[in-house]
Amino acid sequence: MKKVLLMISSLVVLLTLTACGGGEKESKIKDTLVVAQGADAKSLDPHATNDQPSSRVSAQIYNGLVSTDGDMNIVPALAESWDQPNSTTTIFHLRKGIKFHNGEELKASDVKFTIEGMLASPTIHHIIEAVDKVEVIDDYTVKIITKEPFGPLLHHLAHTASSILNEKAVTESGDDYGQNPVGTGPYAFVKWESGDKIVLKANEDYYLGAPKVKNVIFRNITEGTNRTISLETGEVDIAYDIEPIDKNQVKDNENLNLEEEESLSMAYIGFNFEKAPFDNKLVRQAIGHAIDVDIIIDVVLDGAGSKANSPIGPKVFGHNKNTKSYKYDPELAKKLLAEAGYPNGFKTVIWTNDNPVRLQIATIVQDQLKQIGIDMAVEPVEWGAYLDGTARGDHEMFILGWVTTTGDADYGLNALFNSANIGGAGNRSFYANKDVDKWLDKAKSSTDPKERLALYAKIQNQIMEDLPVNPLYYQTMNAGINKDIKGFKLNPAGHHKIYGVYFDQQK
Amino acid sequence: MHKYIFKRILLLIPVLLGVSFLVFSIMSFTPGDPAQLILGESAPKAAIEGLREEMGLNDPFLVQYGKFILNAVQGDFGRSYTSGREVFGEIFQRFPNTLILAIIGVVIAILIGIPVGIISATKQYSIIDSTSMIAALLGVAMPNFWLGLMLILFFSVGLGWLPSGGFGGWKSLILPSITLGTGAAAIITRMTRSSMLEVIRQDYIRTARAKGVSEKKVINRHALKNALIPVITVVGLQFGYLLGGAVLTETVYSWPGVGRMMVEAIRSKDTPIVLAAVLFLATTFSIVNLFVDILYGFVDPRVKSQYK
Repeated sequence: MKKVLLMISSLVVLLTLTACGGGEKESKIKDTLVVAQGADAKSLDPHATNDQPSSRVSAQIYNGLVSTDGDMNIVPALAESWDQPNSTTTIFHLRKGIKFHNGEELKASDVKFTIEGMLASPTIHHIIEAVDKVEVIDDYTVKIITKEPFGPLLHHLAHTASSILNEKAVTESGDDYGQNPVGTGPYAFVKWESGDKIVLKANEDYYLGAPKVKNVIFRNITEGTNRTISLETGEVDIAYDIEPIDKNQVKDNENLNLEEEESLSMAYIGFNFEKAPFDNKLVRQAIGHAIDVDIIIDVVLDGAGSKANSPIGPKVFGHNKNTKSYKYDPELAKKLLAEAGYPNGFKTVIWTNDNPVRLQIATIVQDQLKQIGIDMAVEPVEWGAYLDGTARGDHEMFILGWVTTTGDADYGLNALFNSANIGGAGNRSFYANKDVDKWLDKAKSSTDPKERLALYAKIQNQIMEDLPVNPLYYQTMNAGINKDIKGFKLNPAGHHKIYGVYFDQQK
Repeated sequence: MHKYIFKRILLLIPVLLGVSFLVFSIMSFTPGDPAQLILGESAPKAAIEGLREEMGLNDPFLVQYGKFILNAVQGDFGRSYTSGREVFGEIFQRFPNTLILAIIGVVIAILIGIPVGIISATKQYSIIDSTSMIAALLGVAMPNFWLGLMLILFFSVGLGWLPSGGFGGWKSLILPSITLGTGAAAIITRMTRSSMLEVIRQDYIRTARAKGVSEKKVINRHALKNALIPVITVVGLQFGYLLGGAVLTETVYSWPGVGRMMVEAIRSKDTPIVLAAVLFLATTFSIVNLFVDILYGFVDPRVKSQYK
């Protein structure tokens, strides 16, 4: 027995020692910023994936030709200027002397290589599909030619998926490039411990000046409550996406701040246009009047949202602030239902995936629709099956969201409402309106901002009249930050930039 | 003995084939299209079709399975659908994290479970016995995620002694391994107690006592050795479960282990990761079981003679 005990205790000592060996010594002077998000990145190759956790890291490593400011206006980045000799051609003049993290200089050939790579990538092809070809004029000048005039081109080039890659680095790493990214951005990739953290270090040669914070670690902490706890204990300096339930905890803590900002994401309830009774406009409008969105925002989001009046939010280019949202009015809803021929309501089913927010919305809507006689069952569907089913049109009503990540109306409205995109491409309500199609195509191919604004205003009015989807709210996004952190700004697309952030003591 | 071990290892082959077939069928026949999941909700149809073709998802089920087996026996488990990483590299990066938690968890469980079990049995119906049995009941009944959160609240938020999660340094191991060890300790305690109780009522223990052997020797030498066999089985099984990745504990502590990786892979229908991880775990589980069987032989010579 003694021998056994001795063996076990020596094993424990041995293990503890090995564990110590793997530990990293924390330095006393703060030069490392720790950021927590809810999931690990998938790949840091912008051509391989377009998910939020990956983009949030990639946004620190790469630059695009152009970028957006906090209000989603286009600003120069790797291209210091550009001009449009005709409606399908844009010539970009690159900054000189910009170095990739591997020491290579940025050349026009890298831009050509990147955009051709995007065109070949099934994941992000849709962001750049308007491009016909890219021509290198000289080392610092590159010409992008679109198939047709394409108004939102610059917004699409500002997307994180359009980050400029280094041809040599991508070719050298081959299939493993996603774990060995090389960019021109303020932070260079150091290492990735899968499932745990990604470590970045400052790029001292960054073209806008070296970043103040020297090391950045992106940790993934799946549980929302745990992100808040790590923020409270000081293990994390910035925590993205504080859960509604934890928001006050952060606000009330004297060492922490809660930053909030309206995002580009919109949540909606969709109807299947091809199935009765939802093929009847009056029925859709009745439901629009029967849902009290304010209650949903209060109860489900704890106030972290604003009522939507259009499928695209105020920060998106093309948003029409004069479009009318549906006023909560159950009496009017009943009248409309009776007019549509359903004085006693009807039975229907709403689909949702197992997202808790969507489940709660469905439950509230179920109760509200009952008030006007509609007996709606809630059916949670597994995410994969949900995407399949709504693309095929098996559904009646459904809850989904859309993020207009480019900040341009085309990305939101064209995907959701153009009849060319019916099904999996985005138009899951199977909405088809020839006028809207025509206007959408025209607004897409126009390069005159005024004309585009007028068209999008018209489109939004028409969509809110037809109501193929009932936009509920624009979600507010947030981040909890340590009070020592200065210079942090939320980016409406969700890809918050760490460049510009510093510790108070560094002032 | 060698022949026995060899035979057991050979038996692994049909087990792994069966497991892989089962997992492959489940992943293939559950709804949801991996290509759609990779490309997201805004992907055009043509892109999804193109990716399906590229991934070989349009082949008949048996062809897909055959291709997988052919590649797998050559050591190629493919790349993850979502991250594009080599599946084996990914598993080997995560597995040590799970392994170290499982080992420390089991050691904690043994260090608590066996002594407490022995004392409870020898002092049956005493206060020590009832207290430890109530504690054991609590240990089994407490859900891992709850215990995990309570420990975090107390040691990380309250006292600020230990990190609340993540992987780095020995400090980060303490809370998760205690969380994991508690449940196992409770089970081992109860098993040791009941097994000891059975053994100390045997005739040969009475004989030993009648001979005048000291009580300590009776318990340690005569009773414990015989009582250990079912305990070893339980310890082995517990270790196997912990190796499978304690998903809840790993989630609560943001621990980069195999369990969380598998759950995430199942959610995103990342078949190559799920398959390789399940096969890997089935293999380790079988090896742990084999090891437990061999250990019986050392504890009980009667068992050894049966190994052919």
